[in-house]
Amino acid sequence: MDFAKSDIQTMLLDSAERLLSDSSGVEYWREQHRSPLGFAEVRWAQFAELGWLALPVPEEAGGLSGTIEDVALLNIALGQALATEPYVSTVVLAGHILEQSAGEAGAMEALGSIAAGTLRIALAHQENGADPLSLDGVAMTARARGGGFVLDGGKIMALDAPSANQLIVSARIEGEEGIGLFLVPSGHDGVAVTAYPLLDSTRAADIAFNGVALPADALLVGGNHALAVLREAVDRASIAFMAQAVGAMEAAVKICGSYVQERKQFGVVIGSFQAIQHILADMFVAAHQARSMLYHALANADQPEARRAAALSAARIVIGDASQLVSRNGIQVHGGYGLTDEYAIGHYFRRLMCLEKHFGDLAAHLERFGGSVLA
Amino acid sequence: MELRLDPELESFRQEIRTFINDVLPPEIKERQRTKVLNNATVPDQNEWMRILYRHGRSVPHWPVEFGGCGWSPMQIFIFSEELYAADAPEFDWGGTHMLGPVLYTYGSDELQDRFLPMIREGATNWAQGFSEPGSGSDLASLRTSAELVGDKYIVNGQKIWTSGASHCDWGFFLVRTDKTVKPQLGISFLIVKMDSPGVTVRQIPQINGDTHLCEVFLDNVEVPAGQLIGEPGMGWTYAKFLLEHERTTSSFIYWSKRELDRAKEIARGESRGGRRVADDPAFRARFARAEADLLALEWSVLRVLAHEETDTPEAAAASVLKIRGSELQQEITMLQVDALGEKALRFYEASPVAPPPSEAWPDYVPGRTAVALIARAATIYGGTKQVQKNILAKLAFGL
Ligand SMILES: Cc1cc2nc3c(=O)[nH]c(=O)nc-3n(C[C@H](O)[C@H](O)[C@H](O)COP(=O)(O)OP(=O)(O)OC[C@H]3O[C@@H](n4cnc5c(N)ncnc54)[C@H](O)[C@@H]3O)c2cc1C
Repeated sequence: MDFAKSDIQTMLLDSAERLLSDSSGVEYWREQHRSPLGFAEVRWAQFAELGWLALPVPEEAGGLSGTIEDVALLNIALGQALATEPYVSTVVLAGHILEQSAGEAGAMEALGSIAAGTLRIALAHQENGADPLSLDGVAMTARARGGGFVLDGGKIMALDAPSANQLIVSARIEGEEGIGLFLVPSGHDGVAVTAYPLLDSTRAADIAFNGVALPADALLVGGNHALAVLREAVDRASIAFMAQAVGAMEAAVKICGSYVQERKQFGVVIGSFQAIQHILADMFVAAHQARSMLYHALANADQPEARRAAALSAARIVIGDASQLVSRNGIQVHGGYGLTDEYAIGHYFRRLMCLEKHFGDLAAHLERFGGSVLA
Repeated sequence: MELRLDPELESFRQEIRTFINDVLPPEIKERQRTKVLNNATVPDQNEWMRILYRHGRSVPHWPVEFGGCGWSPMQIFIFSEELYAADAPEFDWGGTHMLGPVLYTYGSDELQDRFLPMIREGATNWAQGFSEPGSGSDLASLRTSAELVGDKYIVNGQKIWTSGASHCDWGFFLVRTDKTVKPQLGISFLIVKMDSPGVTVRQIPQINGDTHLCEVFLDNVEVPAGQLIGEPGMGWTYAKFLLEHERTTSSFIYWSKRELDRAKEIARGESRGGRRVADDPAFRARFARAEADLLALEWSVLRVLAHEETDTPEAAAASVLKIRGSELQQEITMLQVDALGEKALRFYEASPVAPPPSEAWPDYVPGRTAVALIARAATIYGGTKQVQKNILAKLAFGL
C-alpha cells in the first residue's frame, strides 16, 4: 500500500489539470448542454493525444496498460471538471469487455481504435424493468441463423450511445445458457436509436433492435462467461464513476468554501455564521469519507466477484450518501443563486445525482451490501 | 379537548369535490397533471381563476365584503386540499394571497377599488419584487430607491428571484423612500405596472431547465405616487404582515399530499428485477416515514389554524411548519426521483404538452426530476432554513 502518486500518475494529473481547468466552467458546460452530442469532439481528440484513451488499454493493443488506480485518478480529475465525454463507456466499460474477449480478432483492433480516439463504443444492456445491479435481466434475443445471429429486442438508458460508433449489446442466445455480448455498429440495419440528454448534459438512448442480422464474429463473448465479464466491466465503470463523484464533491466543497467567504448578508460574510460553518464542516467530512471509500473499492477491485461486489457496494453507499449531503447543502449555502444554471454548484448537483444512479442506485447497493453483511 | 373531525366538514369536502369536478375543464386538469415545468401553463392558471371567479370562489379566504366566501379556516383548508388533489392550477399567489390581504388591510379605498377586482377576477398576474442581489436573507438592507418628484415616484434599482415576472402585468415592490432613517423604517410598498418605461425583465435559466425566476431592472421608472400602499416608511410592517398572513400555506401540506400520492403511483408502476418498487422494503420504510411525517405536519397546521394556546409565541409554530414543510417537499420529490431510479435522470425540455407516453416512459416520468430540483428552493425562499432556525431559537428559547 502506498498513498503517494507514481510518476506516471503525477504526469497524468498535471495534464488533466492543464486541459480541464482551461476548458471547463459554467459557460462551457452550458454550451455542451446545447451541443448535439453533449461534448466537444476537439476535446475528445485531446484526450487521445494525452494518452488518456489508451490508459487502461493493454500494451499489445497500443495502450499504456495502466492500472485501475490510474484510471480512478484520471476520473477524479474528470469529475472535478464535470467532463461530459463518454470516457467511462468507451474506455473503461467497452475497453474491459473487449480486452476480455481478446481472442476475437476484431477486439484487439477495436481496442487500438479506442486508444487512438477513432472509435467510441457504448454498452446497450439495461432493459425496462430489469434489476440494474444483478445485470441478468436480459430479455433481448439472439437467434442463430445462417452461421450468424439475428437480434431482436429493446434497450433503454444506454449511456453515451448517441455518440458511439459501435454498441456492445447483451442478448440471450436461443438454446444456450447465459447471455452473449455482441458488437453491433450503431448505424446497422434494424437498429433504431432514440437519443436524449440526461440532467448532467451527457446523452443516453433507447435502442430498438429489429431483426438485426450479424455475422458470427459479432459475438464477443458468450455462455456463462459473458455475465462475469459484464459484471467485471460494470464494476470498473462503477469505480470510475465513483472517482468522478469524489472529484465532483471535492470541487463542490471548495466552491462553497469560497462562496461563503464572498457572499455578505447582514454586513458580514455568511461564512461567519456558525450555521454555515457547520454545514461546510459536514460537507468536508462527507467528501473525505467518500474518497476513503473509493480507496476501499480500488483495494478490492481484483478480488473474486463476491468480495469485490461487497466492497463496491459499501463504497457506493458512502459515496452516494456523501454526494447527496454535499450537493444538497451546496445549493443551500448558495441561497437563490444555487438554483440557477449560471452558478457552478447546480451543475455539480445534477452530475452527482446522475452518478449516484448509474449501475445501481443507492437503494440497490444498500440492499446488496445488506445481504452480504448479514449473510 | 375533542379531536374528532367535525362531520359537517366531511359534507363540505364532498360538496367542494363535486364542485371542482364539475367546473375544472378536463384538458386543463390533464395539462396540469402532465406538464413538464411551471412556466408552461400560465394561460391555464388564468383561465382557472376566471372560472373560480364566475362561481364566486376565486378568493375564498378574503373578507366577504371583498369577495370572500366567509368560510372558516378549516373550510379554506379543505378547499385548498381538494384543489391540489384534483390537479387544479395554482392561484396567482402574488395577487390572491400576498398583495390582496395587504390591500384590503392597509390600502386606501381608492387602491382597493382599483386593484382588488382585477385580482379577484383573475384578470392580472402579480410579481413579488422584494429580494435584491445583495439583499436576500437581509431583506431590510434593500437599496432599490423611490424618490418622490411632484406626484410621481422615480424608481431605480434591481430586484432578483422575482417569480413569474416575465408574464406578470403588475408587481408590488419594496422600495427605499427614506435613506436617513433605520433601514426598516425607510421602506415603502409600491405597486408598479410591469410594462412601465424603464422596467426590464430578464428570465433566469434555472437548475431544472425552467426560466420562471426573473431579474427586474428598474431604471428611472415613473410610478404615480398614489400607487404607494398605506403610509410611506411602513413597507416593512406590511411585508411582515404579508409573510405572516400566510403562515400555514408555507407548509405546502396540500401540495406535499398530492405529490406523495404521485410518488405512490410511481412506486406501483415501476419494477426492478420483477419486484415493484412499492414492494421493496426499503422504499416501504421511506413511504411510511413520509406519510407519518405528513400526518404530523397536518396536525401542526390544524393547531395553528385553530390558534391553539401554547406557551410559545404562535410565530414559533409558523417556523415549525416552514421548516418541516420544506423538508418534506424535498423528501417527497426525492422519493419520486428515487422510485424512478435511473429513469429520473432523463432531461425534458419545458413544455405544456407532455411527450407521448410509452411502456418504458409512462406519463408520470416527465417533470418529476425538474420539480425535485427546484424543490431545493423550498428551504431557501420565504426565509431560509437557517434563518427559520435562528427565529425559532429566539422565539422558543429567547436565545
Ligand atoms: C425559487 C425561488 C423563488 C423566489 N421567489 C421570490 C419572489 O417571487 N420574490 C422575491 O422577492 N423573492 C423571491 N425569492 C428570493 C428568496 O426569498 C431569497 O432567495 C431568500 O430570501 C434568500 O436570500 P438569498 O438567496 O440572497 O440567500 P442568502 O441570504 O445569500 O443566503 C445564503 C446562505 O446564507 C445563509 N444565511 C444568511 N443569513 C444567515 C444568518 N443570519 N444565519 C445563518 N445563515 C444565514 C442562508 O441560510 C443561506 O444558506 C425566491 C427564491 C427562490 C429560490
